[in-house]
Amino acid sequence: MSEETYTFRIQRNTPTGNGRFDTRWQEFKVTLPTTSTVLSALEEIKARQDGTLTFRQSCRSAICGSCAMRISGRTRLACKTQVGSVARDKVIEVGPQTNQPVLKDLAIDIRPFFERVRRVDPFLKDGPESAKKVTKTAYDQVNQVTQCIMCGCCYSDCTMAEVSPAFLGPAALAKSFRFVSDPREGMKTERLEFLSQPDNMWSCSRCTMCVEVCPKDVKPMEAIVKLRTRGLEKGLRSGVGARHALAFHEDIQQNGDLNEFTLMMRSVGLGGTLAELGSALHLMKKGKIPSPFPHKAEKLGELRKIYDILEKNPLDVETKAAEIVPE
Amino acid sequence: MKSHDLIIVGAGLSGMRAALEGVRANIDVAIVTKIHPLRSHSCAAQGGINAAVDPRDSWESHAFDTVKGSDYIGDEDAIQIMAREAPIVVLEMDRMGTPFSRVEDGGIAQRAFGGANFDRTCYSADRTGQVLLHTLWEQLVKSKVPVYEECSVQKLVVDGAGHVAGVVALDIKSGEVFGIRGKGVLIATGGYGRVYASTTNATTNTGDGMAIALRAGAPLGDMEFVQFHPTGLRTSGILVTEGARGEGGYLINKDGKRFMDKYAPTKKELASRDVVSRAEQTEILEGRGVNGAIFLDLRHLGRQKIIERLPQIRELAIDLEGVDPIDNPIPVRPTNHYSMGGIRTDKLGFSPLKGLFAAGEAACVSVHGANRLGGNSLLDTIVFGKVTGAAASKYVQDQKLPEFPQGAVKEVEDMIGELLRRPDTGVKPAAVQEELSNALNSYVSVFRTAEIMQKAAEVIPVVRAKFKKISLQDTSRQFNIELVRAIELGHLIDLAESIVKGALARTESRGAHFRNDFPKRDDANWRKHTLAHWDPKKEEVVLSYEPVRTLGIPEYEPKERVY
Ligand SMILES: Cc1cc2nc3c(=O)[nH]c(=O)nc-3n(C[C@H](O)[C@H](O)[C@H](O)COP(=O)(O)OP(=O)(O)OC[C@H]3O[C@@H](n4cnc5c(N)ncnc54)[C@H](O)[C@@H]3O)c2cc1C
Ligand code: FES
Repeated sequence: MSEETYTFRIQRNTPTGNGRFDTRWQEFKVTLPTTSTVLSALEEIKARQDGTLTFRQSCRSAICGSCAMRISGRTRLACKTQVGSVARDKVIEVGPQTNQPVLKDLAIDIRPFFERVRRVDPFLKDGPESAKKVTKTAYDQVNQVTQCIMCGCCYSDCTMAEVSPAFLGPAALAKSFRFVSDPREGMKTERLEFLSQPDNMWSCSRCTMCVEVCPKDVKPMEAIVKLRTRGLEKGLRSGVGARHALAFHEDIQQNGDLNEFTLMMRSVGLGGTLAELGSALHLMKKGKIPSPFPHKAEKLGELRKIYDILEKNPLDVETKAAEIVPE
Repeated sequence: MKSHDLIIVGAGLSGMRAALEGVRANIDVAIVTKIHPLRSHSCAAQGGINAAVDPRDSWESHAFDTVKGSDYIGDEDAIQIMAREAPIVVLEMDRMGTPFSRVEDGGIAQRAFGGANFDRTCYSADRTGQVLLHTLWEQLVKSKVPVYEECSVQKLVVDGAGHVAGVVALDIKSGEVFGIRGKGVLIATGGYGRVYASTTNATTNTGDGMAIALRAGAPLGDMEFVQFHPTGLRTSGILVTEGARGEGGYLINKDGKRFMDKYAPTKKELASRDVVSRAEQTEILEGRGVNGAIFLDLRHLGRQKIIERLPQIRELAIDLEGVDPIDNPIPVRPTNHYSMGGIRTDKLGFSPLKGLFAAGEAACVSVHGANRLGGNSLLDTIVFGKVTGAAASKYVQDQKLPEFPQGAVKEVEDMIGELLRRPDTGVKPAAVQEELSNALNSYVSVFRTAEIMQKAAEVIPVVRAKFKKISLQDTSRQFNIELVRAIELGHLIDLAESIVKGALARTESRGAHFRNDFPKRDDANWRKHTLAHWDPKKEEVVLSYEPVRTLGIPEYEPKERVY
């Protein structure tokens, strides 16, 4: 096993009272096999160089969810990340998760994250929609999302959480899908109604960041898309998100292009549009307001074909999960 | 001061399951846990949970396998409770939402595990512990049980009449030391794997509850019985589930030859863990290993089965050992895994100390005796979480709130304050822990002799003396993990002493305790439980013994264990 000397640039956050911190970057040099994990490197530093370095860890095997932190530009589990795979010129930069309050050094306050999870009533409910018997494939959907270990990687790197702290976030939404997709769950519609409210499932911008950073292959964004589809199927179409999606769909299906001029009106309604008038005037001055007349794309027939295929092969939101495809 | 009827220390499977019984009994129950409940090490259990849910199987057969597996010092009353309750609690977990893997007709799928006469292990792929733990947490959230998260219990408080009166805890987040009054305390703090340098356990598995109970006057049972799992990854000690062999995996040596038929002709790779670990260690000692390891070969299972049934194992092998089991055998070796010993209790989880209960890996009920069967520990946590949770809830209903002795909080505060203020001595707690855990790893392992174990016995007073001199670099109050670990080190030393003394005294071989100098089981003299007590005057561990709780059933009579 080949060894290398790595430089760890670690963000130190020392609490100075009243929620304030003294933040600085400190460098440590450690010699390790390239296949060592970032967590063992941090343990090495704590044991032999600086006992004050603070981070959470427990299982060392990517299953307890304690050790999520920013490593070389994205949030990862320190115990699952090999130093050799993230070093740039033998430098590895480590900081705490983002979008959440810091406690000390690399440890964040996990309470706000779990508060969001609690908002979705994270437990199976009895009710009129409970299936009586399960089959072999009943949990194919459930199994994908129950891989979640609540480490917070997705929330830390969520681009929507960054701009909108009220957003429920990918982990809580995936947790909600865990119940909505469970045949034994009795209150699926009630859950979808809750999720259709502002800041919940329709607030995701589908940037796929959560899918990319998830260390357990939970694919939160796919769960969110499936929740939306199920919500629409249940006729939950009155919220801004749902109306926006439907208007979008209508334009593409009819014209192959968006009518952005009327899209807003159809999504947020007259009141919402008037409220945004200020920004609209500002945009108009800059020439950013699109033409009010619908533009028809060429070769609409081709597009119809795509629609036909999709309609014949609908996204299966009930049971079958995507096969686990061996790479 | 905060107060509850019942204080549960620990939020793993056993602690959370016990709390639900408190809710059911309508008492004021609270949990104190040093890590968030979902971080508890129960999440790492991969393989599954035993229960005779198949109509062709029976709880009697399960109980028999367990008695035999325990090498005849498991307590038979408790074993019967566990085997009988098993199908009930597993179906309860199923109803609460655990997504167990299924067979074609929708029934719960079961796989083969070591030492069992039936494919009795219910599972959820290879992350059974995780889904069980998340399910119980969901129920905990639903029942709104108050949880003191990231608060580490430091002391079990006992009143003048010798009754438990509550606990003193350190809020890790803020550094505050506080007391909680209670009519009863149930300890569910899990195992102590960190006593060993190489272990499948989490870094937080430091056996706090056992050590705190020991110091408060409760005895620990059977501490010399330490399970070594046959398949820990060579470098990190991280576990590869027995389920991998249950699915058909082979153990091979450096010549690519299977060797288990030499040691256990019938059960081969699926003999009980003590047998397989000794076989591996023999292969390694006789020069048929590679860098201290032999290999777990899954290649013949094929890509599809590995990906479907053992996906997590594959990831771990790739991430931590650089080996894809689809293409190559995984280097593994016997690794510290499980503690058969713990706080000694009766079949309902009552310890001899009034008001103190214990469940899960922290307890010695004893359903595992000298060797635990795979899949029986998850079961133990849930059955005895339930049984003990119910018994403790009933007990506290008839109790008055004991007087919380003045000065208990201050005592802990002073200890912590002194440690934080101590000038730099140059003795680092991490180094002292390494010395201790390396000694146990080298001298009190799969094969033991008096001569070798003596070396460990000599290390302990040395380590104890060094422990008194450690100093910390982190002298702050908030989230001081160095401080938390230093305190845990004190626990590990007490537990190591109990293990070594118990092992030296037991001059026979039984279950996981194998002595080259006494290679035979000696039922006439040693079919009994070891009890370790803390002697405050001598400041050391002293031993006593008590009989096994037997039922006089002919099939349970000791026989030679062959697999
Ligand atoms: C890698 C691995 C795989 C396993 N696989 C299987 C399997 O397949 N089948 C099986 O049957 N068994 C298996 N086991 C064994 C089984 O998982 C454990 O014995 C069991 O989960 C222990 O549960 P517990 O509730 O007793 O403790 P844990 O789950 O370890 O929980 C301990 C709790 O105590 C708390 N705590 C500890 N100290 C303090 C303190 N001072 N103050 C406050 N709180 C404290 C912690 O915060 C935690 O919440 C496995 C074990 C390991 C290590
Ligand atoms: S330490 Fe448990 S997930 Fe990394």
